[in-house]
Amino acid sequence: MDELLKVSGLRAGIEGKEILRGIDLTIKPGEVHAIMGPNGSGKSTLSGVLAGDPRFTVTGGTAMFHGVDLLSLSPEDRSHEGLFLSFQYPVEIPGVTMVNFMRAAVNAKRKYLNEEPLSAGDFLKLMRQKRAIVELDNKLASRSVNEGFSGGEKKRNEIFQMAVLEPRLSILDETDSGLDIDALRIVAGGVNKLKTENNATIVITHYQRLLDYIKPDFVHILYKGRIVYSGGPELALELEEKGYDWIKEQVDQQQNESL
Amino acid sequence: MNRTDALSQYLDLADENDALLNKDLRRTLWHIHNFGEAALGKIIANGWTPAQTTPPMCYPEALFGEDYGVNLARVPMPADVAASFRCGVPKLSSLLAIVANDAFTPTDALSANCPEGLTVTSLRSLEGELWRDAEEMMMDRADSPSPGAAINSLLLQDGVYIRTEAGTEVEKAVQVVNLFNSPVPLLTPRRVLVHAMPGSKVRVLLCDHSQTPSVAHCNIEVVDVWVEEDASVEIYDIEESSANTRRSWHLNVVQCAGSSLSVDTFFLAGGASQNNITVALAGPRAHTRLGGLAITSGSQQVDTQVQLYHRAPHCDSRQLFKSALFDTSRGGFGGCIVVDNGAVGTDAAQSNRNMLADPGTHMATAPQLEIYCDDVKCSHGATTGQLDERALFYMQTRGIPAEEARRMLTQAFMADVVDNISFEVLRQRMHVLVEKRLSGASASCDTCATACHGDTNPETVAE
Repeated sequence: MDELLKVSGLRAGIEGKEILRGIDLTIKPGEVHAIMGPNGSGKSTLSGVLAGDPRFTVTGGTAMFHGVDLLSLSPEDRSHEGLFLSFQYPVEIPGVTMVNFMRAAVNAKRKYLNEEPLSAGDFLKLMRQKRAIVELDNKLASRSVNEGFSGGEKKRNEIFQMAVLEPRLSILDETDSGLDIDALRIVAGGVNKLKTENNATIVITHYQRLLDYIKPDFVHILYKGRIVYSGGPELALELEEKGYDWIKEQVDQQQNESL
Repeated sequence: MNRTDALSQYLDLADENDALLNKDLRRTLWHIHNFGEAALGKIIANGWTPAQTTPPMCYPEALFGEDYGVNLARVPMPADVAASFRCGVPKLSSLLAIVANDAFTPTDALSANCPEGLTVTSLRSLEGELWRDAEEMMMDRADSPSPGAAINSLLLQDGVYIRTEAGTEVEKAVQVVNLFNSPVPLLTPRRVLVHAMPGSKVRVLLCDHSQTPSVAHCNIEVVDVWVEEDASVEIYDIEESSANTRRSWHLNVVQCAGSSLSVDTFFLAGGASQNNITVALAGPRAHTRLGGLAITSGSQQVDTQVQLYHRAPHCDSRQLFKSALFDTSRGGFGGCIVVDNGAVGTDAAQSNRNMLADPGTHMATAPQLEIYCDDVKCSHGATTGQLDERALFYMQTRGIPAEEARRMLTQAFMADVVDNISFEVLRQRMHVLVEKRLSGASASCDTCATACHGDTNPETVAE
C-alpha cells in the first residue's frame, strides 16, 4: 500500500529552542496512529509543524504527503491537499459567522481543485448533512466561530469541519481535553463515522481514555522530541497501567550510556 | 507653502474679490464673511497648532496649501452632471438634494416628494423667518473656529438648509450628495444647516463623490445642527472621493432637553480627511451616539477630533470609532469628553479601536476626559493592535487563503460599527461597501462602490 505520510528526520523549534529532534513516522491509508507522551515532549509542536503553524521553524528533515513536499506548502494549500488539524484550543473569531467561515473554506478548496463554487442550496444541504455526524446544533451556524461555544461544542465543531472538508489525513490534537464522557463519545463517534480505507488519522492524546473509543492500529511514544517507542494498541494499555516513568528512565539511561 | 502663506492666500483672495464675493448677497453672508475674515486673521496672527494626534497631511498647510481656484463668479457646473447622478444604495428612496461643487442644485424628485413640515432648500434662496433662523445658526458658532471653518465662513456662497417643523417625522432620508466636478483644482466651501424643531425627526445622509478624480479638490464643509426639545436627528456621512481630495469637515451640534442625536461617519476613499465633531448636550436627558469607521490604504490620512460637552444633567453619550489601516496610511484620533459642573448623572463612554494591518501604518490616539462634576459615569478606552495571528492561522488550516482570511477578519473587526447604524437600508449596504472596499473593488472613485456615476461614463461628463 502507498504511503500517505512519510516524515523523516524532522527537526523543528520555536524561538531558537529545538523541540523536535528527528521524528520518523510513516502512515498508510486506512491506519489510525496514536501519539502519546508526557507533557512537553513535543506532541503539539509536531501537529503544528505538519499543519504549517508560523510560530515554529523547521530546521531539518522532510515530510512527504502523498508525494507532495508538505513543508513547502502554505497552511491553506496543506489543507487543500487533504491535511486537517483539529485544534487542542479552537480559536474564537468574533464577527465571522460559522456559515461564512465554512463557505469560504469549502469554496477555497473547490477553487484549488478547479471546481465551481457550491450553490447556496447545495452548501446548506452539505452543512445539514455534516452537522448530523456530531449532533451539532443548527443555531451555532449563525454564531461567530467558536465564540461562546462550550468546550464540548468547540470540539464537536472541529470534527464537523473535518467532516465537511473530507481530509485524507486528520490530526486530532488532544481532542479529548476538556470533554465530558458524553461529549467524548459523540466526538469519537464522529471520527469513527468518517473513517474509510482511504484516509488516516493521527490521534494525539495524553490518556488512554480516548483510545477506548478511537481504536489505534499503532501507538507511538514521543519523548524529548523523538519517537522513542512504537507498538500496537497494547502499548497504550501498558502506559495507562505503568505511566510514562519507565519509558523516561529507559530513554534517559540509554542517553547517559551513549554520552 | 508654509502654514501662514497657505492661510493668508484666502484673505488676499477675498480682499481682491470683495465685490464678486458679496455680489447679490444679503447682509448675513457679509456678516459671515466678516467673521471668517476676523477669525482667520486671528489664527494667522496668533499661530495655530493642530492636535498632537493629527497626521501631517491633515495640517492646514497640507489641506489648503495648493493653488486652488474658488468659484466666486458662480460659474455653473454642467447641468447634466447633477441630472446623471444615481445613488447606488438599493431600495434607498431618499429626498435627494445635489450640491454640485458648492452650488445647491434642486432635483425634481425633491420638489415633488418633499413632505409637509420639511424644508430642504438652498441657503441663498432663503427668505424672511427662515433666513433669520439660518443666520442665527451660522452666527452661533462663527467666533472661534479652526482654520478650515474660518475659510469656510470667509468664502461661503451657498449651502443647504434643512428644517423640520415641530412634531414632523420625516420618513424618508434627506440625502445631500456633494458632487465634485471641475477641470481645474477647486476649493469648495459649503454649509449645511439642520434645524429639527421640537418633537421632530429627521435623517440626513451626506455623501461625498468626485466625478473628476484626477483633479485636486479641497472640500470644506461646515454642518451646523440644532436639535430642539425631544427632537431626533441622525446624520450619516459617507466619504468616497478620490486620492486628490483634501477634506476639512466640521460638524457642530447643539442638543436641547430630551433630544437624540446619532452620527455615523464612514471614510471609504479619499486623500486626506480632517474631521471635527463638536457636540454640546445643552439640555437635560439628551442622548448622543457617535460612530466612525475609516478604512485607509495607500498614502491616505484620516484625522478625527471629537469634542463632547456634557453641560446638562442626566444625559448619556456613546462613542465608538474604529479604523483599519493598510500600506503606509496614517490615522489620528482625539476625543475629549468634558463634563461641566452641574451635569450630574452624566453617563459617557468613548472607545477608539484601531487595527494596523501593515508595518508601514501609523496611528495616534488620545482619548481624554475632563470631569468637573461628581456623580457621573465616564469611561474611555483606546486600543491599537494587529490582526489576531492565531485566528489567521486557524482560518488558513481550513483552507481559507491568507489574504481572504485577513479581509474577513478586518471586516469582522468593523462589524459592530456598521451594526450600530439604525437606518436599516444603509446598514445592509454599508456591510457590502466595507466588504468591497476591503477586497479592493473601490480603491478610487472611478470604480466607486456606490456607483454614483450611474449610466453616465464619468470621462464623458468631465469633458
